[in-house]
Amino acid sequence: MGGRARYCVTHETHYAYSGKVTSAHQLAHLKPRSTHWQKVEQHTIDIDPNPSERTNGVDYFGNQVLRFVIDTPHEILNVVARSVVEVDAHAPDPGADSPAWELALASPGVWGPDVDLDVEQYRVASPMVPLLAQSAAYASGSFLPGRPWLAAMLDLTRRIHADFLYDPKATTLTTQVREVLGHKRGVCQDFAHLMLSCLRSLGLPARYVSGYVLNYVPEGKERLSGADASHAWVAAHCPQLGWVAFDPTNGKLADLEFVTLGWGREFSDISPLSGVVLGGATQKLSVVVKVQPLEADEPPPGEAVA
Amino acid sequence: MLEEMLKSYPDSDGRFDELFEAPGKPRAHWMRFYRALTATSAADIRARLAGAERQIRDSGVTYNVYADPQGLDRPWDLDVLPLIISPEEWRELEAGIAQRALLFDRILADLYGNQSLLQQGLIPPSLIFGQSGFLQPAHGMNLPGGVHLHTYAADLARSPDGHWWVMGDRSQAPSGAGYALENRLIVSRTFPALYRDLRVQHVAHFFAAMRDSLMHFAPKGDGPALTVLLTPGPYNETYFEHAFLARYLGFPLVEGGDLTVKGGRVWLKTIGGLKRVHAILRRQDDSYCDPLELRRESALGVAGLTDCARRGSVLIANALGSGVIESGALLGFLPRLCEHLLGEPLRLPSIATWWCGEPAALADALEQAERVVFKSADPAFKFDPVFGEDLNEIGHAAIKATLKTRPERVIAQEFVHVSQAPVLARKRTYRIGARGIGLRVFAIRSHSGYVVMPGGLTRVASGANERFVSAQRGGGSKDTWVISSGSVDASFTLLRSTVSAGDLVHSGAGIPSRVAENLFWFGRYEERCEDSARLLRLALNEVLRESDDDEDSLEPVLALARAFSLIQEDEDAEAALLAAATLENNVFGLPANLRNLEHVAFNLRDRMSMDNWRTINALTKDPVFGREVPLPDALSWLDRSVTGLMTLSGFAMDGMTRDDGWRFLSIGRRLERMAFQCLALQMAFEHGRACGLSWLLRLADSTITYRSRYMARPEWLPVLDLLVLDGANPRSVRFQANGVYSYLRKLEDAYGDCGSELLRSGVEALDALDPARDLQPESDRLRDTVDMLRSTAFALSEVLSQRFFTHAQTDVWAPLAA
Repeated sequence: MGGRARYCVTHETHYAYSGKVTSAHQLAHLKPRSTHWQKVEQHTIDIDPNPSERTNGVDYFGNQVLRFVIDTPHEILNVVARSVVEVDAHAPDPGADSPAWELALASPGVWGPDVDLDVEQYRVASPMVPLLAQSAAYASGSFLPGRPWLAAMLDLTRRIHADFLYDPKATTLTTQVREVLGHKRGVCQDFAHLMLSCLRSLGLPARYVSGYVLNYVPEGKERLSGADASHAWVAAHCPQLGWVAFDPTNGKLADLEFVTLGWGREFSDISPLSGVVLGGATQKLSVVVKVQPLEADEPPPGEAVA
Repeated sequence: MLEEMLKSYPDSDGRFDELFEAPGKPRAHWMRFYRALTATSAADIRARLAGAERQIRDSGVTYNVYADPQGLDRPWDLDVLPLIISPEEWRELEAGIAQRALLFDRILADLYGNQSLLQQGLIPPSLIFGQSGFLQPAHGMNLPGGVHLHTYAADLARSPDGHWWVMGDRSQAPSGAGYALENRLIVSRTFPALYRDLRVQHVAHFFAAMRDSLMHFAPKGDGPALTVLLTPGPYNETYFEHAFLARYLGFPLVEGGDLTVKGGRVWLKTIGGLKRVHAILRRQDDSYCDPLELRRESALGVAGLTDCARRGSVLIANALGSGVIESGALLGFLPRLCEHLLGEPLRLPSIATWWCGEPAALADALEQAERVVFKSADPAFKFDPVFGEDLNEIGHAAIKATLKTRPERVIAQEFVHVSQAPVLARKRTYRIGARGIGLRVFAIRSHSGYVVMPGGLTRVASGANERFVSAQRGGGSKDTWVISSGSVDASFTLLRSTVSAGDLVHSGAGIPSRVAENLFWFGRYEERCEDSARLLRLALNEVLRESDDDEDSLEPVLALARAFSLIQEDEDAEAALLAAATLENNVFGLPANLRNLEHVAFNLRDRMSMDNWRTINALTKDPVFGREVPLPDALSWLDRSVTGLMTLSGFAMDGMTRDDGWRFLSIGRRLERMAFQCLALQMAFEHGRACGLSWLLRLADSTITYRSRYMARPEWLPVLDLLVLDGANPRSVRFQANGVYSYLRKLEDAYGDCGSELLRSGVEALDALDPARDLQPESDRLRDTVDMLRSTAFALSEVLSQRFFTHAQTDVWAPLAA
C-alpha cells in the first residue's frame, strides 16, 4: 500500500443516570498510542462535570491511561476525546512472503535468554479469550501444515468475515467466544476475541487492538463495519514480520484507515472508558465517534486557521 | 489407664508415627507428655475434654463450609492432644520457612518488577502469564518497604522416612494463624501443668510482631496509624478467624464498602467522618479488591485501591498480585531460583512436583502416574485432585482431556503417605487412635526479616483412610507444641497487656458507618418484630373473643393491624392474621421482619455476643416459622416470639457497653416504639369512647402496672397518663422521646447536629399537656402532639441516615462503555 494519512478523531461518551451519582472513579483508554507508524499531533479530553482528580499514566501494556474521580453529584457524564493523528502505511503487502506459520509457535518446552516477553504474554488464555478445542478446529481450516503465516492469517481473517454476521443486537459486552462460535454473529469485539481464541488455541501470539476505523466512504466503495463507533481488531506476531494487524470484522489487513488507541490481551484490558459509580441506579450510554480525514497540512476542524 | 486406651492404636502401616518410634516406645520428645497422660484417670480426661468443648462452644469458634449441610457455623473441630515437635527439628523447619518466605518475596518483586527471571529463562513465561493469579495492574507498584509478602504460610507433611516436605504455599491471604492461636488458648488451659513443664514456646510474640511490623512498614500521615482487617464478609469460610484476629490485634474489621478512596489515599468511613487507613491486612483475594482495575464484577472491593497501592499511599498485606505464588507449578523451579536469588541452597524441599506445561515434565509424570496426584495449577481452574493410582478406572477421561489440551493448568505431585499422630477418639469410651496430619506454619515479615510462629496449625485428616488433610474437606485440627531447649520467654502473655493508659479507647468514634447503620436497624427490626408479635397475639385473641372483658375492642385492633400493614382492608381477618404470624410471603408480617432482623444480626456477628445470634436462630428455626398452622399453635408461637425478643432487648440493656454503637441501637428501638405507640393511640382516638381501652394496655404490656395503681376498669385519663406522659413507663411515648433526645444530645457532643432540635418541640409539647384538660381522646392538643411525634420518628430516622449512613452505601459497578 504505502502512503500516509491524517485524521481528526472525536470520541464522545455520554452517560445519563436515572439517579444522582455521588462519586465516580473512571478509567479511560482514549489517547491514541504513539508508535513508529502512528504520530499523535494533538490530544485533549474534556470531562463534564469537572473531575476533582485527574491523573495520566501508562498501563502494564504500555498504553496511555487517564484516571479521574468526580465527587460532585451528577446525573450526566460527558467525556469528549479529540485527537489529531498521522498514520503511516505499515501493513505488509498481502502477497508478501512469510515463513511457515509453525515457526511462530513457541518451541515446546524451550525458553531461554532470548525470549521476548512482549510476545509471550499474548500467547496464553485470558478471561475473555479461552483456549478452546472448537476455536482450534475452526482455525485449522486456515492453518494447513506448512502454509505461509501471512496467507494463513489472511485466510482466517476473511473466513471470519464471511462466516459470521455483523449483528449489533446479537451480543453484549460480556458475550463469550463459545456463544459467538455457536450463533455465528456478533460485533467487532466478538470477532476479535474469537480470532484471538483461534490463534492462541493453536499456540500463536496475538493481541486485542482498540481504536477507530475511517467512517468516510470513498465513492463506489462499501462502508466499513464498525465505523461511527470505536472499533476493535487483532494483531498477531510472526518472527520475520513482527506484529501485523488484521481486522476480522472487515476481512482485511488493518492499515492506513485505522487509528490505534492501544492494545492488551482482550477488551477488558483496554476498554475506552470504564468506571465504578456510587448511586446512579440505572444508566443510559451513548457513544459517538467521528473519524475525519485531513490533508497533510490541513488544520483540524473547529480550529482557527493561523 | 493409658495402656487400655492405647489398645486399639493403629499400626503405622508404613507411615511415620509422630508418637512412637517403635510399638509401645514413645519418641524422646513425647516422653513426658506420654507419662503424664498415663497417669491421668479416665474421669480426669473426660473432664478436661468437656472443658475444652465448652470453651469452643462459648467462644463460638466456627469454620463455615459452603458445601456443608450444617451450613454456616460448623463448630471448630479441635483434637486436644497437641502435636509435639522437638527443638532440634523445629530449628531446621523455622530456618527453612523463613528462607522460603524471603525467596517468594524476591520472586514477587521480580515478577512485578523487571521480570528478569522470565527474561533469563529461570521461569517459563507461560507459567506466569497464564496464571489467573498474575495481576497485570499490580505491576510496578511502589510498595511500602518494598515488601510484597508480609504474611506467608507453608503446608508441611512428613513422609515415611521422617522428612518434612512442603506440599503447598499460601501467599494470598493465609488463613489459620487465628485458629492456631484459638487452639493454643484452649489446649494450654486443658493441660496447664504439662504446657508449663514442657516449656512450650509461646505464639503471642508472633501476633505482636504482626501488629508492629505492619505499623513499621506502613506509610505515615493524616493522624495516628490505622490498620484495618479487610474481610469479604460473614459468608466467608474463615470469617470467625477474621473477627477473632481483628479483636485480638485491635484492628477494625471492615468490608470493602467501609473503605473509600479519595485523593489517592484510602479512608475508613466512620460515624465520625473519614479516617485515613495506613495499612490493610487483607483476608480477601486480591482480584476482588478493586472493581475499577481488577475483577470488575466484584462487589466486595474498593474502587481505586490499586492506584493507591501504585502510589504507595497504603500498605496492603499481602501486596496485590502475590497470589501468583500459590500455583504449585513453581515448586519444581524453586531450587534453582533459590540459588540464583539468595545464593544458597533451598533448605526445605518441596514435594516432587511436575508442571505439566513442560512436555518433558508431563512425560515424566505420566511415566510414574501411579505415584502422583494430578491437581490444578491455577486456583481459578478448579478440579478435584485425581490420584494416579486410580487412573485406570473409568471416569478420569476429564483429566486426560485436560492434560491433552491444557497441560499448563495441571501439576502432578508425588503422593505422600503423611505421618500419623495420636487423636482422642470418642466412641463409647475414650480411646487413642491415630490420623494423618499436616502442619501449616506461618511467617510474618518484621523489620529484621521473617519471623516464624513457633508451632502452627496442625490439621487432621477426617478419616483414617482419608488421603487429604483439609478443613474444607471436613478435617479437624490440633495445637502444635514446639518444646524449647532453653527457657521460654514468657514476657508476653497471650492476652494483650500492651495497652498503656494513653491507648485506652472509650468513645466509639471509630465505629464504621456500616456497623452503626446495622446497629440502628437491629434496634428498629427487633422492636418492629416485638410490636408485630404483640399486636398479632392481641388481634387473634380479639377475633376469638377470648378477651377477659366485654368491651368491643375488635375494631380498633384490626384497624391498627391494617395501619401497620399486617393485614389488608378486604381480607378475612382471622386468616390474614394467621398468615402474618407465621408465613414469610407477607413482607410486613412477623416472619419477614424476623428475617430482616436475622440478616442485620448476621452482619453484626463480630460486634454482638453469640447469645443474640442463638436467640434469633431459635425463632427463625422454630417449627412453626414459615408454616400454615392452626390458631392455638400460632398463639403459642407468638408467645415464644415475644419471649425471645424480650430476651434480645435484655442482652442489649444488660450486656452492651454504653458506647455510640449502643446509642444507635437504642435510638433505632426507641424511634420504632415511639412510632408504633403513637399509631396505636391514633387508632384509639379514632374509635373514641365507644370502644374499650384494655386492648391498649395489653398491647403496651402495661396492664399490670395499671391494675396495681388503679384497681379499676381502664379509664381514659389514667390510661393516657400511663401510656403518654409517664416517663417511668418504658412503653410510654414520653419515655421514648426523652431517651431518643438524650442519646441524640450525646451524639451531638461528638458529631455536631444529629437532629435533636427536631424532637425538641415534640418533647416540649408533651410537657405542655395538661392532664385534666388534654388526657382525653377528644383533645386536639393531645392528638396533634401524638401526630407530630409519630412523624418526627420517621423524620429523625431519615436525618440519621443522611448524616451517618449515606456513605455506607456500596459502590455500584457501572458497565463498561463501548
